[in-house]
Amino acid sequence: MKTKQWRLSALVLGIVVWITLPLTACEQFEQRDKRFYYRALWNFSLRDNLKELDIDFNGIDFGHSNLYESLLLTGANNVSTIEDKARKETLRFIASRPILPPNEEAIAPTYMKLAWRAQNTFDEAHALHRSTYDIYVSDLSPAEKDRAILNVLAYYQDSPYAMTPQRLDHQRLDRFPYSKTFRETFPLFNATIWAYHYLQVAVYDPLSAAPDLPAKQQAVQPILNTYHHYLEHPPVQWTFMPLVAEYSPRFAEQYPAIANIFDNLHMLHDTISDILASDQLPTWDAKRKEIYRVLDSYYLASADATNPMVLHESPFPHSQH
Amino acid sequence: MKLMISLALVLLIFWPLSARALDHDNLDPNRPIQMEDAYAIPQGEIGLESGVRVNDRRKGKTQFIFQPQIIYGAFRNTQIEIQSDIFTEPHTVRGSNKSGDLHLGVLYNFNTETLTLPAFAVRLEADFPTGVRSKGVDTQMTGILTRSFGRLRFHVNAGYTVLGSPQDRERDGTYRLVAAVSYPIGYPHRFRETLIVDVYTRQSDLVHQRNNTGIEIGVRHQLSSRIVLDGGLGTEFVGPSDRSVITGTVGLSVGF
Repeated sequence: MKTKQWRLSALVLGIVVWITLPLTACEQFEQRDKRFYYRALWNFSLRDNLKELDIDFNGIDFGHSNLYESLLLTGANNVSTIEDKARKETLRFIASRPILPPNEEAIAPTYMKLAWRAQNTFDEAHALHRSTYDIYVSDLSPAEKDRAILNVLAYYQDSPYAMTPQRLDHQRLDRFPYSKTFRETFPLFNATIWAYHYLQVAVYDPLSAAPDLPAKQQAVQPILNTYHHYLEHPPVQWTFMPLVAEYSPRFAEQYPAIANIFDNLHMLHDTISDILASDQLPTWDAKRKEIYRVLDSYYLASADATNPMVLHESPFPHSQH
Repeated sequence: MKLMISLALVLLIFWPLSARALDHDNLDPNRPIQMEDAYAIPQGEIGLESGVRVNDRRKGKTQFIFQPQIIYGAFRNTQIEIQSDIFTEPHTVRGSNKSGDLHLGVLYNFNTETLTLPAFAVRLEADFPTGVRSKGVDTQMTGILTRSFGRLRFHVNAGYTVLGSPQDRERDGTYRLVAAVSYPIGYPHRFRETLIVDVYTRQSDLVHQRNNTGIEIGVRHQLSSRIVLDGGLGTEFVGPSDRSVITGTVGLSVGF
């Protein structure tokens, strides 16, 4: 009887191997590769101490996923579905004052299945964003904050999903055949996305300069007011996304690698919006291939040695806002 | 039991309401029902999970089960687990999971779900005979599949357990099949609850008895990013004479 049971177990094992081995040869086989954030005592300092800003960041998390899912499912051929329905859903979610980040896989189940690797790249860069905010809001000394930021950067860069810390030629990255499709077709939602990016990059220097929590709250309030004004009146006159050096020059000077990562992250968001909105890439498969091509060739740190978009001189970007 | 409930309450009240990571949509067995999805917790995460299950049986005394567990995302796509369920009425427990057994498990997720492929995972487990009336090392292997259609996710768990040293009329091996669905409640306004329903059938622990077949329903609620609460109910409508009339589970998971 015992032999029979072990034979049965071997059979089950064989079935598992039989199912999974061909998986690895499948074109769409992708590993999930989720990684936990950098663990430290200052984790969630922002959530604990500057709730209002944290809540707005939680609202932001909804926007991109909702946009990507809507572009994908509508074929980006219905302006009012994106500009009115999807954008207003995003604004309603932001207005609901979410105290926790939303589950992005529930917002964009189709997009996550289309381009998981790109999403995981976003997730890890967003975790770096969150960690830097937490450090800036924590009660660490300036030297400890500096050390902590370098530690989270090293942790981030230890991942195959890390974006390049090199300064990329964003103007060239904005000249693909499909570039600008999204902003030209959906200017309101595009300006809303850029308003999110404004909030994300504009708070670093005020947070850094403010000596204590009440001062930090006071320092970010004008930025929150401006952000909410942008949500009501999207800045459609902007011709390019906000850059870290424009709004937090001290942060960009002190941590150029992180500033570049965030600018590249926001540029990748724009590039993927264009790919999803463009009818030059008419099928989901074509969109997926292009997303992965630009990700692998231009955005991931693993491409640095051959990346033609890397700017070897580092001019400060000029303001376009 | 009072101690466990007190501990849970203390954790709930005093644990800082902050964080992200361990999430209500990542489904682990017994939290709160037996099905699980194909995904491991993120690499590097540590999860402490605990629950209390009440099993009101058609025959025999009502049983309480305490389910402390530690989960660790040891590698990418791989979680390891240490668990030891404690039962009241420990001498009436049949099957592989005896009261006080040391349970070690590994879950490996092969792939994430894509447009054409479901997510697959395999779970390997061993129960060491550290518990009451326990003999021999029991082993279990389970294949797991997750496939979503929109926000609705389907899950299949198929497992086989080999008992190292069956006692009395215990079977020396049992299979288990679970089919489940999960759905995030509240979209697009709220992202803090997941509803889970499963139906299952498993070979009875003793020979010459019918399969235990039942249905379970549960909810996982994200209290904070670090803490997930869960609650579930179930019943077995077919099975041996001591099958469950109703089971109820409450638990919490803390990730850090």
